[in-house]
Amino acid sequence: MAEFHKVIANLRDALERPAAEAHNGAAAASAAAVPTTKAARRVELASQFARELQAVGGHFLGTPTPKETIARVLGVAAALNAQQVAFGAGILTDPAPIIDALELAGITVIRTAAIGDDAARAELRGKLAQCDFAVVEADYAIGATGTLAMIATPERPGSLTLLPPVNVILVSAERILPDLAAALEAIGPAAITSHRLALITGPSRTADIEKRIVLGVHGPREIHVAAVWHGDD
Amino acid sequence: MSNGPAEQDFFAASEAAVADTQLRRKLENATGRHLDHVAATRAEFPAYEAERDASRRIKEDSIARLDDLLVQLKERLEANGCSVFVAADAAEARKYIVDLARERGARRVVKGKSMATEEIALNPALIEAGCDVVETDLGEYIVQLRGERPSHIITPAIHLSKEDIGLLFNEKLHIPYTSEPTALTAAARERLREVFLAADMGVTGANFAIAETGTLVLVENEGNGRMSSTLPEVFVAVMGIEKVIPSMADLSHFLEVLARTATGQKLTTYTNFISGPRREGEADGPREVHVVMLDNGRTRMLADPVLREALYCLRCGACLNVCPIYRRVGGHAYGSTYPGPIGSIVSPSLFGGATATLPFASTLCGACREICPVKIDIPRILLHLRWKETADNSDGTLPTPKWPRAAGRARGGVEIFSRMANHPLTVRVMGRLAALAMWPFARRGYVRWMPPPFTNWTRVRNFPVPRFRRRRKARNQAQSKAASDGTQA
Repeated sequence: MAEFHKVIANLRDALERPAAEAHNGAAAASAAAVPTTKAARRVELASQFARELQAVGGHFLGTPTPKETIARVLGVAAALNAQQVAFGAGILTDPAPIIDALELAGITVIRTAAIGDDAARAELRGKLAQCDFAVVEADYAIGATGTLAMIATPERPGSLTLLPPVNVILVSAERILPDLAAALEAIGPAAITSHRLALITGPSRTADIEKRIVLGVHGPREIHVAAVWHGDD
Repeated sequence: MSNGPAEQDFFAASEAAVADTQLRRKLENATGRHLDHVAATRAEFPAYEAERDASRRIKEDSIARLDDLLVQLKERLEANGCSVFVAADAAEARKYIVDLARERGARRVVKGKSMATEEIALNPALIEAGCDVVETDLGEYIVQLRGERPSHIITPAIHLSKEDIGLLFNEKLHIPYTSEPTALTAAARERLREVFLAADMGVTGANFAIAETGTLVLVENEGNGRMSSTLPEVFVAVMGIEKVIPSMADLSHFLEVLARTATGQKLTTYTNFISGPRREGEADGPREVHVVMLDNGRTRMLADPVLREALYCLRCGACLNVCPIYRRVGGHAYGSTYPGPIGSIVSPSLFGGATATLPFASTLCGACREICPVKIDIPRILLHLRWKETADNSDGTLPTPKWPRAAGRARGGVEIFSRMANHPLTVRVMGRLAALAMWPFARRGYVRWMPPPFTNWTRVRNFPVPRFRRRRKARNQAQSKAASDGTQA
């Protein structure tokens, strides 16, 4: 008797059906890769995220530990010869050591915090529009599309990922989710009703002139992302 | 400029468009590139068909209970701190926004890309009220500088070459001439950044509105929608009432298909979720959020069981790019905010007037139905509208378009050909002669240029070198070989 699994595989080939045609293709694809441990799965998602980010014109800074992250941010600052850097409050990654290192390197750091009045608001907007780049932590990332989910708060205003010409975005490796549906579920309806949310997939871009892609129309022209590795828990 | 209702006849306008070989080359170029991207992105996403079916089902469900969903959406938006205005028609919507600008003393208005605001002809009304209105989507900015209306739903300046845009920027923005897209984009960025930072009011459309949470979803690549909804103190979103969907879980299905079909991306660069004005302590976001829910003829479409399906449209623009008519005449010939196959349905329903003949501007080939991310049966609706238009005519005859001269010439040519085609020998001899005559112009299997009076044949497409005699010989050989193989086996 023919081996059953081979018969089925041949049937699938004949029908041109992928092995696990699930409702959710991206989830199925990453499930098919079967990383067995939590850490292995995290690596798989991070590398998928990196591929997709690069496909949309973003730069991947690897999966540094919080300590190594300092060097990655300083690396971007050096490459851009940055004088002024805006910094949003952290979520899982403590920004203090990175800010200290930037200041030690003689860079002015603009920290975003809750704003009291219109004058302060206008001042911060001006600074964000003038700075060389901004560093901010994302709430989630999406492996299938190379997307970053940013929930706007007083400490992490949306302008951080809109006005500066370059962004360095940190995201915790354990917060890289397989696909869009998983990310929207993790964010949840409550966060959306009370905060503005932006899903960001690569640098600002246009194809309005002869369908040719140009990066950096209104938002940042460069995005660097580090998937910060907080340990294998 | 951008007027909602059409003021020209398609058949007259298309004559000029077809004769414009430059335009056809630009359209073929841009739409072809789009279709390549779409095919590639879909091929690597096995769940595409499943997501497409899910999107279709959600639209069917949402439109079937549009009444309840809109009530819920309005409640939630208001609970989130938005002001909601329901506009029965374009005039009401315009008046609300113009009055708002006046009351708030908003002189500088920035617009994100929005078809709904084109539909209601908002810009002229705001300008008349003394506002400076600047379109900030690059394509929209370009057509605004030219004093034109967009010729495509998602690529407004598809009818212009980079050289056209270079000349335009040289004249209007006083920058040195360049046709380099990167440099042109940088010039626009610099100009528009100033405009954004000084703007008093931002106006955009909305791609989706989530009833469950009271959230507007704005999908875009450049950041113009995000800028317009983040920086000015007053933000207005104009949404067609058909944009409402039940929940956040439904949204992901649409986002999985929309960008893949519209631009061949997996997801657009920005997906913005706006539920209300900024909170205490926030550094950005508008102080006021106004949502204009626009009917403007949509309830009429809903009442017609066949037309209703057209309300599922996501405005991805893909049906324009596959349409053999659109690809030859471009968007302006349709004389409406909404061109192409879906425009030929939506325009007569929303605007009437000269657009009533648009359903006849189709070959019913069905390519639009094939590519539609929510599987709208566009040919069926076009036939329905043709039938209605004919039945509405008092004498019950088809509205006979005035056939343009070019068509007359073409018909003459076809007549001569059909006479020849009745005599096999003539066809063979003429064909051989034509092949021989073309031979000297062939380069690598194609004829790219022929001398007058045949120049036009190769202006927008290449002619494959005809060698049917040899092909037939090869086919005959192949057939006899296959036959003998068959007997051996």
